[in-house]
This record gives sequence, structure tokens and C-alpha cells, in this order.
Amino acid sequence: MNNVIFTIPGCARCKIVKDFMHEHATPFEEKNVREGGKEDFQHFYTANRRAIYRGQDGIEFPVFTDGVVIRQGLGPVLAYLYGGKRLDGFVSVGTLHKEWVDGLHVSGGNIEDADDFIAMLHYLKSKAMKLKLDTNGKNSHLLNRILDEGLADFVVMDVLGPRRLYSHILGENIALADLERTISIVPRFPEYRFQTTIVRVRREGDLTPAFLTPEDIAETAELIEEITGSKKHPYFIRFLPSTLEPGKSQDADSILPNAIFSYRTAARVHQVLTEIEKI
Amino acid sequence: MTYPSVYPTGVTIYNPEKCWNGYTVFQAEDVGALVIDMNGAEVQLWKGLYGFPNKLLPGGYVLGHTGERNPMYGMQDNLDLVQVDWEGNIVWRFNQYEYIEDPGEKPQWMARQHHDYQREGNPVGYYVPGMEPRVDGGNTLILCHKNLKNPKISDKLLLDDTIIEVTWQGDIVWEWICSDHFDEYGFSEEAKNILCRDPNMRPNGGGMGDWMHTNSMSVLGPNKWYDAGDERFHPNNIIWDGRETNIIAIIDKKTGKLTWKLGPDYNSSKELKALGWIIGQHHAHMIPRGLPGEGNILVFDNGGWAGYGAPNPGSPKGIKSALRDYSRVLEIDPITLKIVWQYTPAEAGYMMPFDSNRFYSPFISSAQRLPNGNTLITEGSGGRIIEVTPDHELVWEYISPYWGKAIKLNMVYRAYRAPYSWIPQLDPPEEIPIERIDVTTFRVPGAAPIGRKKETRVEGVLPPYTPPPEYAALCVAADV
Repeated sequence: MNNVIFTIPGCARCKIVKDFMHEHATPFEEKNVREGGKEDFQHFYTANRRAIYRGQDGIEFPVFTDGVVIRQGLGPVLAYLYGGKRLDGFVSVGTLHKEWVDGLHVSGGNIEDADDFIAMLHYLKSKAMKLKLDTNGKNSHLLNRILDEGLADFVVMDVLGPRRLYSHILGENIALADLERTISIVPRFPEYRFQTTIVRVRREGDLTPAFLTPEDIAETAELIEEITGSKKHPYFIRFLPSTLEPGKSQDADSILPNAIFSYRTAARVHQVLTEIEKI
Repeated sequence: MTYPSVYPTGVTIYNPEKCWNGYTVFQAEDVGALVIDMNGAEVQLWKGLYGFPNKLLPGGYVLGHTGERNPMYGMQDNLDLVQVDWEGNIVWRFNQYEYIEDPGEKPQWMARQHHDYQREGNPVGYYVPGMEPRVDGGNTLILCHKNLKNPKISDKLLLDDTIIEVTWQGDIVWEWICSDHFDEYGFSEEAKNILCRDPNMRPNGGGMGDWMHTNSMSVLGPNKWYDAGDERFHPNNIIWDGRETNIIAIIDKKTGKLTWKLGPDYNSSKELKALGWIIGQHHAHMIPRGLPGEGNILVFDNGGWAGYGAPNPGSPKGIKSALRDYSRVLEIDPITLKIVWQYTPAEAGYMMPFDSNRFYSPFISSAQRLPNGNTLITEGSGGRIIEVTPDHELVWEYISPYWGKAIKLNMVYRAYRAPYSWIPQLDPPEEIPIERIDVTTFRVPGAAPIGRKKETRVEGVLPPYTPPPEYAALCVAADV
């Protein structure tokens, strides 16, 4: 199978991938989509449209294929070159530009593949990239290793909810010790934030899931305070557009726009810098 | 704005028969929240209480603030909003909007309030028959600050304006953020260009762009336009104005979107051209139901310098691009945009443009409609508060005697007139008329009286012409 990499002129991220392939003696064919490779990419895109992500700023390059698998963007391509599909849980298409790389999920992959993930992060850092990683509390030992080896510039922790609901929201069991250790590590990175997205959760004894409440969020903020001993962390309460449906005051499945402030008020008892984020 | 070196302060003109008599409250520079009667007697001072602005409430209460944020780190942020009783006891306080840790300062919660607030029960914060503000409960709308970045406007840190609604218990139940609606304001590309480069950067806190500088915020309240089916003027909707942009806008309380606006470009329609450029305005509000002119927009159109636009000789970079060296108080029909009533240098009796700047406050200032149709005007930069009748007669004038030490002005941000009944602790005062002094004969001690010791006729000298003003042979043409 031939490795093909579609690039655009002046693309630093494309160059990093090409350097890696050169360094590892991985043969590939480069097709510059603004020059000779334009027609080839049009054919490729037409045939694989659903596999290629097009964001607000257009298509992210590089786009890589080995004839079977398609990967797009610096992180996912590099992860595939390091470990094939084994690193898929750790890496996804990012949204950041210039020197920043995101889409790096500490909690998303299999811990047995952590060495390859760490190696990939080291490679990105060696190319002067800044790394933004996220975690939901799982794999605290991996996060600690990332901290020790200086591999993250920004860490976002999704604190999914209070302890009693955490596994329900995550959809799998999590060791609370793992969660608490992660919370304690996150503030030690150069930049960080805690955040909680208001989602529906089925509580024990309830037939239908219901949104996290201000009381749940207060408990979540308290959890962060309890573990870190500080009320002054950047903490964001996030609301999805579908969560807020103006005018549907009788609809139990939405939160009235004005009600979001009661979440912030509740959280600020334990995290004074809490802000609301509509996403 | 043209003052001699020596002039009287306190009340200088008072016609009790034509005034709407009551108490006047204002923030006296470096002194506190001061209440005066119609003769200028200082009947109450809440010493040191800040007021941006101060407002009286029925029962002898006043609203104000216990302190300001260190201006090294913030810009016009008040620590809190408090309600204080006649004896100085704080009976209500809100400060929990943002937790602030400024270098060298005690970490604390702050309201970051500035310029305005409204207590439930009354839409505008001044006396309206049958619309008394609540004193022992109810929600309060507060105009606040928040620092944020918005790449649509500029890559620089912005000092944004927010409006929050807080309960009597201090819970925030509604928030509106000005920059969220940037696309609705109708800025030209020229305006966006200079906004991006210089969103009115102020040095405080290491630099922040006070891009809108909202200086008033009030509720529309019940009004004839909504009663007639015009949803833009829903009684719960909020009107505010932005000094730096020359915008006056009404927002939908439910959606936050703009429903009505004036500016930022007053050349964009025939009606707006006829209205003329509103520049650096203050205290735009809808005259509440129950007062003469109800439903119209009353605003102190400062003039001075404001707005973002194309560079011009008066604004080489396009910031503060609109200029005018006199003020206007305008009452505007919000449907036709026609001026229903105005008080400008012309109505004040000053010849325009030669003497226009004698009615001119390029910043702060306000206008309050009184129940008898008079208008209380704060010509703020010179500390002058006046009451004028609908036909523009000056029936009360007060000049603040309080000059600041750091800011060497006797400025008055905004004064309010309240009925005697709102301060039951006091007996209504005696109202003593003050005749207007004839300044042609008024002399300070030691000055010679008017009158020539010798007059000499010169043969052949002709009497002067007395042409209509438009034919006056002055160096510039008269506005007539």
C-alpha cells in the first residue's frame, strides 16, 4: 500500500508529519493540493467526503491515507504513524491552530498504549508545539507522567459531576481515587481549567434522565475545593445550545436561560471564579 | 462652560410658583450623597457615601456605594450597591458579581457597578406618580463591568458592559453582555476598523478597551407604544445608551436582542439627519407613564467628542470622530424620530453658534421629566443643576460649591428631584423665592458700580445698525 500525504504550501503541521516519516524511513508520496495534487485531492475528497472533516476554516491539513485508513490533522496522523489505530482513543481531530495542538485525550485511550502516546507528545514538543490536553479523571497516573515530563501546556479537566453521579455520567465505573488524584494534579500545569457540562443523568430510582441541578454543580465545585484546598480555580459551567431553549418554560427537557445563573451562584460558594460558558 | 473666575454657588434662581418643588439629591465631589431643598439648604449628607449615581427611595433611603475599586486596576468599578436608611444603616447590599484579587488589595467580591441601576417598582429611578420603587424587597437591575475578549471587536482586552438582575437576596437571575450583540449595532467598516485598533483603550489595569461606555440603563415600563401593539417597546424591555458609540438602544428582556436603536451613524436616513448627530449622550430613557411626554425618549445629548468613524480633521484616527461644542436636551418620539421638545443653547437664550458653549457639558449630565412638565437638567461638568419649564423658562438654578481635590471640578454626575413625601423624617421646608440678579449692576465688594463719571459726544458718529441676527456682521454666520 502506498502512503499518500496531501499537503498545502507553507503548512508547518504538514512538514512535521513529513519530517517524522523521513526520520522513520516511511515511504510516502506528497501531493500538494494547491499545485500538482489539486486534481488528485478533488477525486480523493469526492470519494471519501464523509471521512474528511471540514471545519469553519475549511479542511485541516495534512490529510493522510495508506489506502485503507484516512487520518486528518497533525495529531491523528502522527498518532496513526506511531501506533496505528491503538492510539485512536487518545487522539482526535483538533480545533486549535498555529503552535497549539489539541484533541489529545488523557482519559480516552487504553492505558497499555500510553508509552506510544507519550512518545508522540514528546515528538510534538520537540517540534516546538504547545499541547492542550483534556481529561475526565481517568488515567491519573498517565496525567502525572505527562506533568513530570513537561508534555502539556494547558490541561482541561471535565469534572463531570459530583462523586455520587460520576460513574452514571461517564457511563462506566471510575475509581474515585483516580478521579481525585487527577483533580489534585490538574492545577500544577502551566495553564488549566476545570469545567462541567450540564448534561442529563439518570439518577438511581428515576425512570428518566434529568439535567444536573445547581445543587449538583455546587457539590462538584465543592469536590474541587475539597481536593485542592482552594476556591480560586478557573471553573466553567458549560451549557449546550440544545440545553437552553428559550420560551419553553413548561418543557422539563430544557433549562430556562435565566436559570443558568443559579448554577453559577451555587458554584461560586466553593469556586469564586466560576463563569458560565455557552457552547 | 464659559465661567468667570468669580461667580456664586448654591441656588441662584428660584421661582416656587413655577417649580416642581422637592428635594434634590446628588453626589457632591469628595463630600458624599447630599440632599438639598429648593433654597439650597443641605438637609442631609450621607458622608462619604459614593454615588454613581445616588438615588432617593421613599422613606428617606438612599442608594449608593461604600467604595470604589483601586483605579490602578479597574475603571469606574464600584465595590457594591447599597441601600442606606436615614440614619446611615445599610439595609441592603449587593456585591457578589465577581471575585477580584488586585495586587496589594484585599481579595473581595465586587459588584463592579457603574453609571446606573434600577430598583423594581419604578422603571427609571425617579419620581413617577403611582410607580414607587420598592424599599423592602424586589429585584434590582444593575449596570456592571466585565473584562473579556471578543475577536469580532478587537484582539485587545475589553472593558465590557453587562446588565444583571439581582434578587433582594442577592442571587443573579439574569445577565446581558453588551459585546454578545456586536453584530446588531450597525457599525460601518470604518468604525470597525478603528474599534479593532483602538477600542477606546484606557490605561487602568494594564490597559482595557472601554469600547461602548454604557452610561444609563432603565426599564421602559408601561407605555402607549406597546399598548398599541408595538412589541419593540415591551414594558420589560431595557433602554441604554453608549457614550463612546453614540448609540441609544432598546433590548428585548427575553432574548437580549436589540429591538430599537438610534446611531451609531446619524447620516443613514432622512429622519436621523433631521434629528442631527447625538454625541456622547447620557441618561437616555423613556419618559414613564404618568409624566408629561410619556413614551418619548428623553436624553442629554452632550456633544463633545465621541463615536468611531472615518478619520477627519478633528479626529485624525477616527476615534471620537463626531464633534460638537454645545449640548442639547432632546425629547424624541421613538416612532417618528422627530424632536418633540428640546433645550439647547438657543432655548437657553444664547446666540448660536457664538455663545453656544454656555450650555455645554461634554461628559456626565442628565435630564429628568417632572410631574408638572418641567425638566430637571444636570449640566454636569460645571456642576450646574437647572429646572426649566416646557417653554424653556429657567425657574431654578443651583451651582455645586463642591470641587474635588484629585479631580478639580465641581462636577455633578446626575441629580434627581424627589417629592417632600419621600423624606418623612423632615418637615417640608419653607420655599423662599430668589429673584434673578441683574448681573449688569451686580458687583463684588471693592468693585466700582456701573455708571460713567463722564460721557462725551463725538460729532459725526453714527448710531449702530440693529439688523436681524442672520445679517449680523460677525466673523462667523449666526445660526437662525
